[in-house]
Amino acid sequence: MSSLISNGRTPISYKMIGTLFAVLMYVAVTLALAHTSNYDQGLLLVGVSFSILALSLDLVAGMLGLFSLGHAGLFAIGAYTTAILMTNYHWSVFEVLPVVLAAGGVIGVFIGALTLRVGGLYFAITTYVFTLIVTVVISDSSITGGYEGLIAPNFPNFPSAFSSLGTSLVWGVSGALLFTVVVIWSIRSSALYPVLLATRDAELFAASAGVKTARTRVLMFSLSAALAGLAGWTFCFLGFITPDQFNGTATINILVMVILGGINTRLGPIIGAFFISLFPVLVSWNPLWQEIFFGAVLLFVIAFFPEGFVGIIGRLVRLARGRYSAVTSFSDNVKGEPVIKAVVPTFHSQSVTTSEFALEARNISFSYLPGVKVLTDIDFVVRTATIHGLIGPNGSGKSTLVDLLAGQLAPTEGTITLNGRRVEALRSSERPKLGLMRTFQTATMVREMSTEDNVTVGLFHKYRHLLLRSLVWPLLPSGRRDSRQMKREAREALLSVGLGPQWPSVKVADIPHGVEQLTQLAAACVGTPSVLILDEPLAGLSASEVSEVAIILRTLRVSGVTVVVVEHQTRFIFDVCDEVTVLAGGQLVKSGHANDVRMDVQVREVYLGQ
Amino acid sequence: MTKAILEIESLSAGYGRFDVIHEINLRIDDGEAVALLGPNGAGKTTVLRSIMGLVKERTGVITIDGTDVVRMPPHKVAKGYAALVPEGRRLFLNQSVEDNLRLGAMRHRRDQRKVEELLNSVFELFPIVESYRSREASMLSGGEQQMVAIGRMMMNDPKLILLDEPSLGLAPLAIADMARALIKLREDGRSILLVEQRVDIALEVCNRIYVLSDGKIIDEKRTGDIGADGRALIDHYLG
Amino acid sequence: MPQVLLTGLASGAIYGIIALAYSSVYYVTRVINFATGQLLMSSIMVTAVLSMHRTSVWLAIIIGITTSTIGGVVVYFIAVRPVLRFSRFSFAWLVSTLGAGIILSSFAALFWGSGSLPFPILLNGHDVRVIAGAQLTWQQIMTVFVAIFLLVAFEIFRKRTLFGKLGMAISYDPEIASSIGANVTSYAILAFALGGLLVGVAGILVGPISFADAYMGDSYGIFGFVALMIGGIDKPAGAMGGGFILGILQSFAVTYINSQASDWFPFIVVVVVLLIAPNGIFMSGPSIKKRIKRLSQRKDLAKL
Repeated sequence: MSSLISNGRTPISYKMIGTLFAVLMYVAVTLALAHTSNYDQGLLLVGVSFSILALSLDLVAGMLGLFSLGHAGLFAIGAYTTAILMTNYHWSVFEVLPVVLAAGGVIGVFIGALTLRVGGLYFAITTYVFTLIVTVVISDSSITGGYEGLIAPNFPNFPSAFSSLGTSLVWGVSGALLFTVVVIWSIRSSALYPVLLATRDAELFAASAGVKTARTRVLMFSLSAALAGLAGWTFCFLGFITPDQFNGTATINILVMVILGGINTRLGPIIGAFFISLFPVLVSWNPLWQEIFFGAVLLFVIAFFPEGFVGIIGRLVRLARGRYSAVTSFSDNVKGEPVIKAVVPTFHSQSVTTSEFALEARNISFSYLPGVKVLTDIDFVVRTATIHGLIGPNGSGKSTLVDLLAGQLAPTEGTITLNGRRVEALRSSERPKLGLMRTFQTATMVREMSTEDNVTVGLFHKYRHLLLRSLVWPLLPSGRRDSRQMKREAREALLSVGLGPQWPSVKVADIPHGVEQLTQLAAACVGTPSVLILDEPLAGLSASEVSEVAIILRTLRVSGVTVVVVEHQTRFIFDVCDEVTVLAGGQLVKSGHANDVRMDVQVREVYLGQ
Repeated sequence: MTKAILEIESLSAGYGRFDVIHEINLRIDDGEAVALLGPNGAGKTTVLRSIMGLVKERTGVITIDGTDVVRMPPHKVAKGYAALVPEGRRLFLNQSVEDNLRLGAMRHRRDQRKVEELLNSVFELFPIVESYRSREASMLSGGEQQMVAIGRMMMNDPKLILLDEPSLGLAPLAIADMARALIKLREDGRSILLVEQRVDIALEVCNRIYVLSDGKIIDEKRTGDIGADGRALIDHYLG
Repeated sequence: MPQVLLTGLASGAIYGIIALAYSSVYYVTRVINFATGQLLMSSIMVTAVLSMHRTSVWLAIIIGITTSTIGGVVVYFIAVRPVLRFSRFSFAWLVSTLGAGIILSSFAALFWGSGSLPFPILLNGHDVRVIAGAQLTWQQIMTVFVAIFLLVAFEIFRKRTLFGKLGMAISYDPEIASSIGANVTSYAILAFALGGLLVGVAGILVGPISFADAYMGDSYGIFGFVALMIGGIDKPAGAMGGGFILGILQSFAVTYINSQASDWFPFIVVVVVLLIAPNGIFMSGPSIKKRIKRLSQRKDLAKL
């Protein structure tokens, strides 16, 4: 983002000018549309209405992976509520609008809460049933006009002073689309976006970074439902509304609009919406051949272009530019050579721990099923500002202990104290703000996002009101500032673990395993934790990368951070750790200074196989 | 000149954009037991899976008893070339022990007598499995499941036996039983490629070892040539 | 009451067979074939058209069922296989099988018009039998028996033949199944063919009492799917059970509420079922226990 003019306070950039220009164009197009024939208006407004609906679905389906088939029902509720309140109860169009949004929002909370119980396919089915129930209710009630439906209420015209603006409905619907686009594109540009994708693809990672994934899903679904209601509001003015506009086929059509246009893209849902709603009108073949063509489009686009129309366009653009993949140029350097250069890591210590023991787990026992104890009466005590190793053969319970310390599991018995505070009853998403961060053995992050975006997820617990601000993020100076700040911190964190400037913008899908491990480490460190738990951080790293990690851990210790490392590579452990705990068969074998543990006969027997 | 049962030349393989193993060269003679050692993430499992056909992106030459199998899908490799005891056992836990074994003999299904013969040889090697034959596989302990997994592999009667970290997650007693079974297989003249993290088991069972690190073979030694220093050497590699 | 029950059983048998078709495809490939309803339609339509042109009834039936069986395989190759290879997210087959279904029903309407066609009566539809005070036609009785027969045959095949156990293995762990010698692709083709065969039979059974037009597949497809959700997607036998439950509930709704209720009442049922038992009523026993234990340990999965 280059600065055109910078007077120290508010830099005006190319981006802002471009946006302003786009908005002006939008207004101009709306003005033009407001003066065309009723027929043309009708066509395009239907497209706009469905665009709003498709965008609302993409919010949850694309960004959160919730494939809702309930949006047709929400659409119907929005449309019918508007029509009934305006026609039967003579509410004005402006009074109805907030009601429609609120109703959508409330129903959205309810349905969103459902996602906690059923996921994936079952969620799609349950929401489909919701739409079905809505359809049936509106077909059978008299107030909704039964099968005959309702006639569109009258959208108020402009007062005569403004009549040169043309058809007021056009402006109303256009305004609704603009509103939706602003909200959704804001979320896309905000610091919340990586968090949403992490909630979708890497829930453990997100939760361990402090994201309350359940709440996030419900709130986003609520917003999506409100916008679907808004779409219904616009739709009901376009003619008449009948139950079979919202039936089973319509339900699936909305999802198809999103997928066909390009799921999780800015323009995809809009393109898809226009294509599907205008297709039957523009292509007036024999309706059956139309259907066949439509089915064929669904079939082939999805099979060969899973990214939809936007993906096709993107591919064409890239072909035209002659750039296939930015990554191939450096992948040759990467093969077989040290990827990481030694950099003096810079960690800003924030940990102010007065207690002698940063982490204390006492009398820990844990079983998944009664009678099968995975951990029996373990004491695990970590001194502040030390590196503490946790080793043991497979099945010894190391990973379970880590899950207990980090909050993915709750102990059956025992207590866990973090910097003097009792935490065993707290969920994993509550621990980061108390200074605890962890990494996972199988690094799962969001593959389609860059490393630096993934790392910003680790900052979630440090920034306030991300969810709320994301709705208008680019318009808020604090939003832009926080984005810059987060990116800066993420890059610093990546640099600290030895990943130089060519790495931050690379997608996680395109990086080697060792780099992914280090990225996870950066994500855990970026929030300057006081206690860091690393679960097998060396898996897949080359010898040189392993030495880098040793340097990083030692630097962390100097900065006052307490590090717990679970590992198999015993030479590393005994080299780097101050104290070591050995587990076997769910029980404590030995715990103490590294050298004492290394020499212990029992430990050698149990673990080193001698 | 002993016949080579497995010859791997310039094998590179990976998942997605980057290769996990680079230019691997490996050889196993008929009747030899060879171990592949190395730290976590070195690529040992990828080597086994590449031989078995479970890794899509692979280049190079993999020859089993003279036949190039590098382009073969897994179900063709299983037609007598190689059989795998996968990491974590991966039995069909919703079926009985006997069903698991009989499924392992899929390629012999037309020769019922051969299947019964193979079944008996498995029961001979692992008598406890015979006593469990009708039990659902999920009811067995880790060690017992490992025996069934080895049995399932034996039912295939392959030219080359592949084992991926069979000691993982097993109690010491079970490991001893398992090692004994592998030694018996070696003594019967079977060709074995064993991936292990436990150096002691590898040295007990195998004639020769390769050391894999960072996706490359960095050392090869005959077990007999490794003395007390040798062990330290390996520990050094394993870090 | 017995009348309602038995009538429901008869219509539920059809839903059960359709659900079994969905389930057998899902079991092997983890894909829901949304063109299943249209495949059912294809068997009915082909049979109806052929018998209209004076083909012997039984020959027409065989050709009809063959059509839907082959149709299942075609759907696999056109809509499922390419998607499984290229797709990067898990619901692409929803769109592609849907597209296949649309194509099927549109072609049918193109060739045979959108009106109803007469379907040959297999058994004299007016024969009425009185059992336990209820009246049933031979057609209905036959339907129930065929459904039960198919279920039993299916389960015997699945659990007691080597090939069926191979299917169980493929369903449980396709990667290891392929490494012991299972050709997973061939098996997938078989599964789709079986699905087509099953709905082909269902079509023949329902033809005489229903209408035969190009769009009838839509509602049967949906009801069969609802039956699958009620019974549970993991166990094919549960699918059949779901079908019977759906049929009976629908019958009750039609009798005691009103005739339109058959449209929506079952859906309320399925929502309630999904809320209590998200994996269907016939969830495998041990997995329920596991779920309960897991839930009590993992607080992260709890409410807000």
